Amino acid sequence: MSTDRTPKYRQEIQQMMFVSGETAEPSVDTTTLIEEIVRQQVVEILARSTALATRRGVRSISTDDLIFLIRHDKAKVSRLKTFLSWKDVRKNVKDSDDKGGADAADFAAADDPIAGGVVAGPQDVASKPKNKRARVGLAWDVNSFYSVQVPEREDEEDEEEEEQNYATLQRLAAADERTKNMTKEEYVFWSECRQASFTYRKSKRFREWAGFGIVTESKPNDDIVDILGFLTFEIVQTLTEEALKVKEREDREKNRRGGAENGESIKKRKRETGLFDPPEEGRTPVEPRHIREAYRKLQATPNKNIAMLLHNGRLPARMPLRLI
Amino acid sequence: MSLGHHHAWLPPGHLRPPDDFHDARSVNGYPKSFSGSRTPQMRASADIDGSHAGGLISDADIAGDEDPRIAMFRELYKRSEAKINTLFANQKSAEDALRGAVADSDQPQAQDQRADEPAPPPAPPKKPARKLDDDDYDEYDDDDEEDDADASPPAKHKALGWSQVPSSFPSPSRPPSGSTSVGPDAQKEAKKETLEDIRKKLEEDKKATEEAARRSFHTLFYTLENDRDAMLDQQRLEESERQVEAEMSGQASAGNNANPTSNGYGSLSSANLGASSLTLKNLIARIDMKRSLVQASDAELRSLMSEVRKNRSKWASEDKIGQEELYEAAEKVLSELKAMTEHSSAFLTRVNKRDAPDYYTIIKHPMDLGTMTKKLKALQYKSKQEFVDDINLIWSNCFKYNTNPEHFLRKHAMYMKKETEKLVPLIPEIVIRDRAEVEAEERRLQMAELDGAEESDDEPIMSSRGRKAPGKSSSKKGTAPVRNTPSGSEPPGGQASQPPGPVRSDSDVAMEGTQNGFATPPPGTQTPSDPAGVGAGIPGSQGDAMEIDGLIPTSTVLSALPASGVESEDPEYKVWKQVTKKDRAVIAAERHRLFKGDKLNSEEPALLRTKAGMRRWLRNQKQVNAEGDKAQESTSQGMGSGSAGETLAEGIEVDEDRVIPDYYDVMSGVPDLPAQLLWKEDSDGNIVDASEEFLRVLPRGSFTQPDSKLARKMDANMRQMQETRKICSKIGIVKQMQLQSQMYQNQFQKYQPEPFVEQDVPAHVMNDGGPVISPWVCRAALQRSVAKIFYHTGFEEYQPSALDAVTDAASDFFQKIGETLKSYMESPKVPATDSAEATTAAQWKRAYTEPEIVLHTLSSVGIDVESLESYIKDDVERLGTKLSTVHDRLRSLLSELLRPALADGGEDGSSAFQDGSEQFIGGDFAEDIDEDFFGFKELGLDKEFGLATLSVPLHLLQNRMYNAAQAQNTSAAQAITLFPPPASYPRITAANLPSQIGLVQGFFASRLQTSNNEPLVEDLELPPKQRPMAARPRLPASGKIPPPSGPSGPTSSPQKRPLPPTAPGQPAAKSGGSEPSKKKLKKNSGVAVGASDPAGEGDEVTAGGESSKAAPAKATTNETFAVDANAKGEGEPGAPEGAGIEKHASTGTSTGIPGSSQSNASAVALPNGTADDAS
Repeated sequence: MSTDRTPKYRQEIQQMMFVSGETAEPSVDTTTLIEEIVRQQVVEILARSTALATRRGVRSISTDDLIFLIRHDKAKVSRLKTFLSWKDVRKNVKDSDDKGGADAADFAAADDPIAGGVVAGPQDVASKPKNKRARVGLAWDVNSFYSVQVPEREDEEDEEEEEQNYATLQRLAAADERTKNMTKEEYVFWSECRQASFTYRKSKRFREWAGFGIVTESKPNDDIVDILGFLTFEIVQTLTEEALKVKEREDREKNRRGGAENGESIKKRKRETGLFDPPEEGRTPVEPRHIREAYRKLQATPNKNIAMLLHNGRLPARMPLRLI
Repeated sequence: MSLGHHHAWLPPGHLRPPDDFHDARSVNGYPKSFSGSRTPQMRASADIDGSHAGGLISDADIAGDEDPRIAMFRELYKRSEAKINTLFANQKSAEDALRGAVADSDQPQAQDQRADEPAPPPAPPKKPARKLDDDDYDEYDDDDEEDDADASPPAKHKALGWSQVPSSFPSPSRPPSGSTSVGPDAQKEAKKETLEDIRKKLEEDKKATEEAARRSFHTLFYTLENDRDAMLDQQRLEESERQVEAEMSGQASAGNNANPTSNGYGSLSSANLGASSLTLKNLIARIDMKRSLVQASDAELRSLMSEVRKNRSKWASEDKIGQEELYEAAEKVLSELKAMTEHSSAFLTRVNKRDAPDYYTIIKHPMDLGTMTKKLKALQYKSKQEFVDDINLIWSNCFKYNTNPEHFLRKHAMYMKKETEKLVPLIPEIVIRDRAEVEAEERRLQMAELDGAEESDDEPIMSSRGRKAPGKSSSKKGTAPVRNTPSGSEPPGGQASQPPGPVRSDSDVAMEGTQNGFATPPPGTQTPSDPAGVGAGIPGSQGDAMEIDGLIPTSTVLSALPASGVESEDPEYKVWKQVTKKDRAVIAAERHRLFKGDKLNSEEPALLRTKAGMRRWLRNQKQVNAEGDKAQESTSQGMGSGSAGETLAEGIEVDEDRVIPDYYDVMSGVPDLPAQLLWKEDSDGNIVDASEEFLRVLPRGSFTQPDSKLARKMDANMRQMQETRKICSKIGIVKQMQLQSQMYQNQFQKYQPEPFVEQDVPAHVMNDGGPVISPWVCRAALQRSVAKIFYHTGFEEYQPSALDAVTDAASDFFQKIGETLKSYMESPKVPATDSAEATTAAQWKRAYTEPEIVLHTLSSVGIDVESLESYIKDDVERLGTKLSTVHDRLRSLLSELLRPALADGGEDGSSAFQDGSEQFIGGDFAEDIDEDFFGFKELGLDKEFGLATLSVPLHLLQNRMYNAAQAQNTSAAQAITLFPPPASYPRITAANLPSQIGLVQGFFASRLQTSNNEPLVEDLELPPKQRPMAARPRLPASGKIPPPSGPSGPTSSPQKRPLPPTAPGQPAAKSGGSEPSKKKLKKNSGVAVGASDPAGEGDEVTAGGESSKAAPAKATTNETFAVDANAKGEGEPGAPEGAGIEKHASTGTSTGIPGSSQSNASAVALPNGTADDAS
């Protein structure tokens, strides 16, 4: 783990926060805090999946180990699966025909887990049936119940996947809503921001940052790094959204108490930006305390985890870190 | 005085300290009684004489401020007077006994009239009056008690009148002494009333404290440790009583004898009238008034009176005035003292000389309570003072003898002394006098009265009431103070007619006790409890009864005793001990009786519940439960209603009132046995076994999953999985078959899963309602459910330890849920409404409704309904659809695997295998698709053998199943074996050679010749490997097909077939030449060349001899044979084998064996030739 605490992902985090709804420019403190949180989460993820892999008797972690950690979050799992399948398609395409530079570029766009791989997907499949997306199977799927590899079939559409995509679509719809009124330049900026990633094309930096080689083996799979990139984005987004909620509540409270001395917080509650709204940049950014509060909320132990301690059970001194 | 009057008429319930008004009044009373008539008639004389005397003194006062009640009394009196007058007027004509008696009472009336004047009446009629006195007094007190209840005197008088002796007139009727007498009468009455008031108040107070104590008994638990002491004390007390009784028995007879004699001696007088009851007194007054009309002697009247009288005290004596009162009181005090067993036990009996040898030297006048009892019974006390002196003598003796201030007996004595001081004032100041003496005095007084001595007027009046201390000097003391002072200090004045206050009136004494509160001692002898009081009053004259009755009261009265600090005990506890001592002793004795030694005494009667006890128990329970005054009211009502309804237990009612907490009365609290446990017998005496009615068979399905939609879905999913797994196993077999060359039938276990059936517990008989408490069975059921879920989740099999662990976790979890549920269910109820009067139970509701309870519980364990729903939706229903799609896919995969030809056929191909692929493997499907898969039909085999099916057993299908040719071969070979083999031809021998066809005879003959006339063997009879054509023709390593060698004889072994055995010579020579590659053979090359000549055998031997390693010829031949055999045994001739043989031969030579013999040469030549061929 890097001993120096200089933030390495300030820009990325800012971009991610922008995508997640934070319009003002967050301070360095905020991004540093977020970065630390994210790193803590990543380290935890790596440690746990390494433990899982060890239990399986394998030294290196696999994608299944990672996905297993977030298996309860169905939306995330489905998005991950989608991402992985598209990544697979891309690799196949690259392998099979190097000639199609244009195609490869398409897939590069489609590859981005956030930037609308799903949108680009269908036509790709239609255009290249031989490179059809392979469904990413998970170890705990029904298919693994049986000793025989269950053949894939083209015609069946997985309704579950559709349902799981619902959350993804929701998110895309929200993004769509946000970008509706954007100018071209804004949209360009927006889409740039959307591509922000902890890992994309900075694999080495990420590895150092996350402490690969200490927590787990030093040479992780490419897939794993990509998944981690996806997850880190998710973490930042969740944190930011939660922190925004906190901040909004705080502002509302302040507003109710303090009256109109803070005019902009009244406006903040309005969905539509009115003609006389102050520019978005005028908003106060999310501060570290909001992030902390959001983090605390996200770390709250649900009842389910302590159900077995209900009657004369003793609460452990420290609950394990919860993955966001 | 008038003031005193006024207050005297206050309602009885009115609590008033004794020392203001009453004292004032008693101040007047005492001096009057001091010099007053010492006649024993207390009441009657008080009513009549005293009132008149009082009238003389205070007529003016009375008349001046006549109380309205007095006026009322007067009114009543007048009315009753009129009635009586009419009555007498009617009766006058007809004379019967009673009227005779009435008529006879002229003289009493005269006396009465005399008594109206302050002068004492003449002596004669006194004796009967004594009895009347007692009686009257008793009744009067009874009246008072009832008055208490009524609280209004007028009403009381009526009630009293009707409840009293029927023959008597209503009490309100006054003696016919004229209006002048009314005032004094009322005054005297009033005085008495005030005393009664005090007593009543005291009694009420005492009852209240007792009640409070009793209530506290129910709220506190006292240990039983003192019971034994109490019992022992009680036993000692009773023992001493018995002792005294026994000692007294002799004297008692004498005393009894004395009484009758004295009885006959008295006479009816105005004085004795004073002692009679109100009613009787009225009667007597009437009689006295009309004495002239009554034609009966005094004696007759007196006997009549005594007959009318009911209750006689045992102390009653005709000729001893005041004896009854004094002795009653003294006895009570004595028994009270004795009952303080904690302290009195040492003083109960005489001091034994053995215990204290020097006692009687120090103590000249020993005294003890027992002796006092004896003396009392022997009527040896003449006055209160004597009695008190004796008591104090006991204590002073004790102090005298036990000089050590620390001595425990001194403490006891101190305590007892204190108690004595409290009790003694209760004894009336009476000096017993002979009636004759009294009468004489009265007569003398009468004389003095004639002289007009005013002072003497007072005296008779007050003495008639006479309960107070004598002399004006003591006027300051008042009633209560006087009592507090030791009575011994009071001068034993001639207060003759002090009413025996304690005798009857529980009210009196109790009143006093309570009036004084805890500061002053309660009167000892009275019974606090009504039943006991009744018992004491009614049997009155019976000594034993008195004692026994007295015991209960004594012990109970003590409850009002304050903790006087002798012991530093918890006051409450002390009260408890005192109040319950007697009862505890009785109970402990009962318990004690149940044991003999340390064992249960089987002889004792069983402990049984009594109705009264149970009722009391229930009442107490109710009382404890109820709160406040209201509750008490209800209990008292309950008591009333209970007594109304308890017809069955009248007799027991009396002793019901025990001051003992319920836990002493265990039996009464025991509920009834349940019906099924009763020991019942039918008419034949057989025991009815009721237990069977309560047995029940555990309903089926208690340990299986109840049928539900979810359960059915899960079962369907599991069946689906099983089916799919079946397919998977087939796919695995097929794949395996494609890879493996050999298949065995038992190589793959056929996957034949059994359907899941939940087994219920076997029929089980339960004894009662409720769930089955059998942890193991329940756990097993849970384990099964867990396993089911496991399977449903996809695990096909699991380790027992894993299953155990999960089962434990599940049971733990469910326990948590249960506990949470319970705590929610048991949360205290909340008022249903906010209104203040939400007190009744109906308005309380549970804190949570049932759905709320469930939801709260679920949320506390971190589960919500949505997650449960999503589990069912995702993990059950969707799983089902997934499973079915997977099943479909795998089935199609299997069909593709089995029929590659149909693979492109697509759907119809897979549809042909609807029910699995076994048909295909066995060929069953062939008929369905009308195709002769194996070609059996083509061969006509089915028709030929009548085969029902053309399927082939799976194990017969070898390697590549799609290799149809091979399959056909296999089947053909199998078909041939079906024929019965034809009889084998006889072997060709020399014998049957001629029977062969001529063409081959020569051949056979040559064969036979070569085989030395051995029978020729058919090729078929040889083992497969030795058959001529068994081995495929092989190409030598050189790749050239060797030229066909000479015809191999039939006898020749197959491996030799390539080599014509008939002409070994040339090739052998050749081979010998070609041999030189081997070194050792090279050495012998010359020999080998030479050896090619069969004739040179001997040379060969010689050559062998020439060589350094010559071997004996025998050995050589042996070796040759061996080689030959070896060659023969080497079997399959192939180029490598030939080489091997050659090597062998060369080795043989290298060992120094010269291959000299011909056979050897040929043997060597064989490989050589082969090698040659190969090359």
